[in-house]
Amino acid sequence: MTSADTPLEVENLRKEFGGLVAVDDLSFEVNSNEILGFIGPNGAGKSTVFNCIMGVLSPTDGSVYLHSDEITGQDTHETVNQGLARVSQESNPFEEMTVEDNIRIFAVSNSPFAFSSNDDEEVIRSLARRMGLEDELGTLPDSLPHAGRRRLEIAKALATEPDILLLDEPFAGMNQAEIRDLSEEIRGFRDEGITLVVVDHNMRGLMQLVDRVIVLNEGRKLADGTPEEVADDERVQSAYLAGEV
Amino acid sequence: MSKSVTSVTEESAYGYGIPLFDTRVNLYQGGVLAVLLVSLVTVPVWAPPWAYLFALANIWAIFAASWDIISGHTNYISFGHSFISGAAAYTTALLTFNVNPDMAIYITFPLSVIVAVVAALVFALPSLRLSGPYFSLLTFVSVLVATKAVFIFSTYTNGEMGISTVSVLTFDTTMLFYYTLVPAVIITGALLYISRSNVGKVLKAIGQNEAAVEAAGLDTTRFKLWGFVYSAIPMGIGGALLAHFYGNVEPIAFLIVDRSIEIIAIAAVGGMGTILGPAGAAYLFLFLRDEVFKAFLGPNARWVAIWSVVLVLLVLSPQGVLKRLWTFLGNLGGDSS
Ligand SMILES: Nc1ncnc2c1ncn2[C@@H]1O[C@H](COP(=O)(O)OP(=O)(O)OP(=O)(O)O)[C@@H](O)[C@H]1O
Ligand SMILES: [Mg+2]
Repeated sequence: MTSADTPLEVENLRKEFGGLVAVDDLSFEVNSNEILGFIGPNGAGKSTVFNCIMGVLSPTDGSVYLHSDEITGQDTHETVNQGLARVSQESNPFEEMTVEDNIRIFAVSNSPFAFSSNDDEEVIRSLARRMGLEDELGTLPDSLPHAGRRRLEIAKALATEPDILLLDEPFAGMNQAEIRDLSEEIRGFRDEGITLVVVDHNMRGLMQLVDRVIVLNEGRKLADGTPEEVADDERVQSAYLAGEV
Repeated sequence: MSKSVTSVTEESAYGYGIPLFDTRVNLYQGGVLAVLLVSLVTVPVWAPPWAYLFALANIWAIFAASWDIISGHTNYISFGHSFISGAAAYTTALLTFNVNPDMAIYITFPLSVIVAVVAALVFALPSLRLSGPYFSLLTFVSVLVATKAVFIFSTYTNGEMGISTVSVLTFDTTMLFYYTLVPAVIITGALLYISRSNVGKVLKAIGQNEAAVEAAGLDTTRFKLWGFVYSAIPMGIGGALLAHFYGNVEPIAFLIVDRSIEIIAIAAVGGMGTILGPAGAAYLFLFLRDEVFKAFLGPNARWVAIWSVVLVLLVLSPQGVLKRLWTFLGNLGGDSS
């Protein structure tokens, strides 16, 4: 069970797709206010774990706890309203809506009677400013550069006011400068009290950022420790074909 | 004016203009809208013979705009909206026919709207939890079942002949026009407000990517349900109004699936998701069908003509002809500054 120190906990999680076991008896917890790295090679099952946590997929077996409540298989919107948000690996903005309205959908209250709200305007503007999108509010997501689209996804997730934020490969396709800026942003989120889980293929870029790393391989937990410990772990190195970590 | 090519033309892309329901309307759009509105309001003055037709079109504008708030926004396409308006009309008719022919309109009217909304929810509730195609199928089935029921229970409904105990609003076509215009304007305005509001934007977002809306912490089932209620209430009002418009409620004019398809066609020609487009297209559709084509082609061939026109318009402009014109006017303003 979760406590104040471990707001998110996964217990004996298993997910099968037909005959394929994508996640195999995985247990881990996320500590309050840490930045946790969640790494593993292609197809290790990282996104599947997140999909099970968010209720997008229902697990074959196992449980997920959020703030001491079991949330296994719960509707996504309930989980989000309990303070857990996820930025998917793929950007999927509402392409026919402006950047402003894209953020708005994530800021509005969950009520079919809340027709307007001035608070939303304030939230939208400050998030856009924060993610460097204030000049793009009137444009469509399609005209944003790749890094801009990724930043829009983060702005949307932040608009739900999460206390835990799952970021699935936030650095993919970014150049060094963009990675540095975003890492800085992520540290800023942590300073505001948000707990973060950052998924990546490998340790590169994560070394400086994360407090702790969990390594996933073929659906199983391979290692769990500080970035240095994990980088030195032989099983981890062999999973990544000799020192590619 | 610094305006990105991909800016949404109908959403705040203009440097000047007046805000209309949170939308920037430029001078061309505002001008055309004003001329059309004034022309509509004064139809009995400049074209008295058309007052009856435009009174009927007022009711169809209500139908098209009502359909649009749920289906045009969420892409959950209803093939059964004539079931909702029909339920309201038949409630009014059944009450006057079977209970008391003198029952006051202020009792039958609200009752009819309530029955329509409840009947609509019975069909929609299970399917709104599922996906769009199930919703379409069930709404379609609702009309078929209701139409059959009218014939099965013909002792009460008088079958194909229908019930003619409903009081006619007025025999003065000018008054008839205004009695229907006022609700049409109020309802279209209210639906436009919802469409432009946070709720309308959520409904549109559901139409684009429902899973992403869930990830925003929004209960999509609940939003769809209430979107459907926001649609069913004015549909019920329109249906009861139509009953008092004709004074005779029978399946062909009120219920059969053809009526639902016409609503969809009107909304598609006007531009789904715009409210004003579908409402405006109702006048166009009825004018062509009941005035132009009827005069030239007669009461039967006009149907072939109107559906051919709909087909051509949709092929030429899948986004809706009126929406396209609106965008065109908007760009005129944008380019000139
Ligand atoms: N919806 C699905 N249906 C069937 N198989 C799936 C599905 N989603 C994932 N898989 C399979 O499960 C395994 C784990 O995939 P997952 O996307 O979780 O890996 P990942 O660690 O996120 O990989 P990547 O680094 O490429 O994003 C893969 O073999 C994948 O093909
Ligand atoms: Mg993945």
